[in-house]
Amino acid sequence: MRAVTRQPDRGVRKLGFALKVRLFMRSLSLQASWNHERMQNLGLLVAMLPWARRHRGDLNRDRTFCRRYYEYFNTNPYLANFVIGGLVRLEDDRAAGLDVPLGMTATFRDSLGRAFASLGDQLFWLGLRPAVVMAICLLGLFWQMAALISVIALFAVGQLVVRWRSLDQGYRLGLDLVDLLQDKRWHRGIAAVERTGMILTGMTAGTYLALVTDSGLPVNHNLLWFGVAVGLGLPVALRRRLPGEVLILVALGLALLLTFAVLLSGS
Amino acid sequence: MSSLSGVWAVLPAALLAAVPAGDPSWNSMLLLGLLAGLLSLDETALMQTWFSQPLAVGVLTGAVCGDPASGLAIGLPVQLILAGNLPVGQSFTGDSVSALVAAVGAVVLSGRGLVSVFGTPDLTEIALVGWMVVAVGLFSSAGHLMIQMERRAHFLWMLEGHRTLRDGRLRRMEAIHARCLFTTFLRGGATAIILLLVLRRLWLPAFAQLPAVIVAALAMLPLLLPGLGIGNLIERYGLRASWLWVAGGTVVSFAVTRFVL
Repeated sequence: MRAVTRQPDRGVRKLGFALKVRLFMRSLSLQASWNHERMQNLGLLVAMLPWARRHRGDLNRDRTFCRRYYEYFNTNPYLANFVIGGLVRLEDDRAAGLDVPLGMTATFRDSLGRAFASLGDQLFWLGLRPAVVMAICLLGLFWQMAALISVIALFAVGQLVVRWRSLDQGYRLGLDLVDLLQDKRWHRGIAAVERTGMILTGMTAGTYLALVTDSGLPVNHNLLWFGVAVGLGLPVALRRRLPGEVLILVALGLALLLTFAVLLSGS
Repeated sequence: MSSLSGVWAVLPAALLAAVPAGDPSWNSMLLLGLLAGLLSLDETALMQTWFSQPLAVGVLTGAVCGDPASGLAIGLPVQLILAGNLPVGQSFTGDSVSALVAAVGAVVLSGRGLVSVFGTPDLTEIALVGWMVVAVGLFSSAGHLMIQMERRAHFLWMLEGHRTLRDGRLRRMEAIHARCLFTTFLRGGATAIILLLVLRRLWLPAFAQLPAVIVAALAMLPLLLPGLGIGNLIERYGLRASWLWVAGGTVVSFAVTRFVL
């Protein structure tokens, strides 16, 4: 037998519906048992168990199966189903008698996991999340509660569709998932989403400034503008990203300073 | 082990003693605990739909208590200031969900209603929003320790799974995973209920005792937070890479909000 390095062409393969539903449901809790040492290892194993139950072998086979998936694993949860689909395909091929070396599963899991983690971080955490957050803040500034909940619901449904479809795609491509990673549309998509996020950030800033200047609040407007300018400029000047919780305390300190300045000036 | 079970036996009684008669009612507390548990699951453990984002949490909690507008009033400044908290290369993980559910619940259940900080000339009302935002910040920071403890427990339970690598009992793995899910739900729900009691009994009454200068500073807080949050996000994008797009969006929306709407 010859070890496979590319996905052997055996016609279009699809996951069975019942197995796909089980894999999908479990993949949604991939991070439930997240730990610092091996991250999503238990989540991955639990997601793969429906396949193991369907192909129940002797005790030794079950133990080997668990060992294969109990090592370090970490990827982006929204794109994890590409990897899970691909791993199920490798298991299917092995069960069908193809020569899939044991080490290949680990190599596939680790390298694909890392690649999708990097793509997912850029697309979801640094791209989509700031964009969606700024969109809902913009709607919040105009007091549009139903609309902002709808935006979140739209994202929720969208990411579930991506996860559902990527399970099939990962299974269909198997080892050829590597080709998918080279698709230029990933990076074009990331750039577009980041740009959208930047524009929405600007729009939120602009709306906020317009509302502050138009608020008619009985506060010293010069000081308020000074505070807003310091607020906008401080993180950029510090060149550090502080957790929001720390920024609340920084803002409180700044507000106290400004208030004392008002008191001292007697205005 | 026996001291731990002793704590568990005393805890419900202590909690019962801390609840003022019917305020907040047990029903409200359990409902908010359930909501906080579910939203805590959504944050990392299950689905990650982003309904656990602060603004959505605020509005949903407000809606459950019958006043979504108050939820929006607290949730919006918190969302803006936490916008830069991304789970990438960051070791700090606050628990904003439980803190926010408790804060919104405490305000609405106390019979107060909050409005947009830009829509009221009443500085005391804006100061109350600031006071609650400070509470969310402090309690969310404290929640970081709880989350880290939970993750350490995950690690110990994961090690327990090594027994399956010897005896091949697959069900054990599923049980450990389900235990982790349940722990997250319980942590979120219980934390929210405890914080709700603290906020309702101590934090909210303390607002009336604050000196005027602190109240004035708190009134300024919700107006400063969005600037800091947006500045933090611009720093995340990189000023050089983002300034043109951000400036363009700012000019257009400022003009539209000021002169068209």
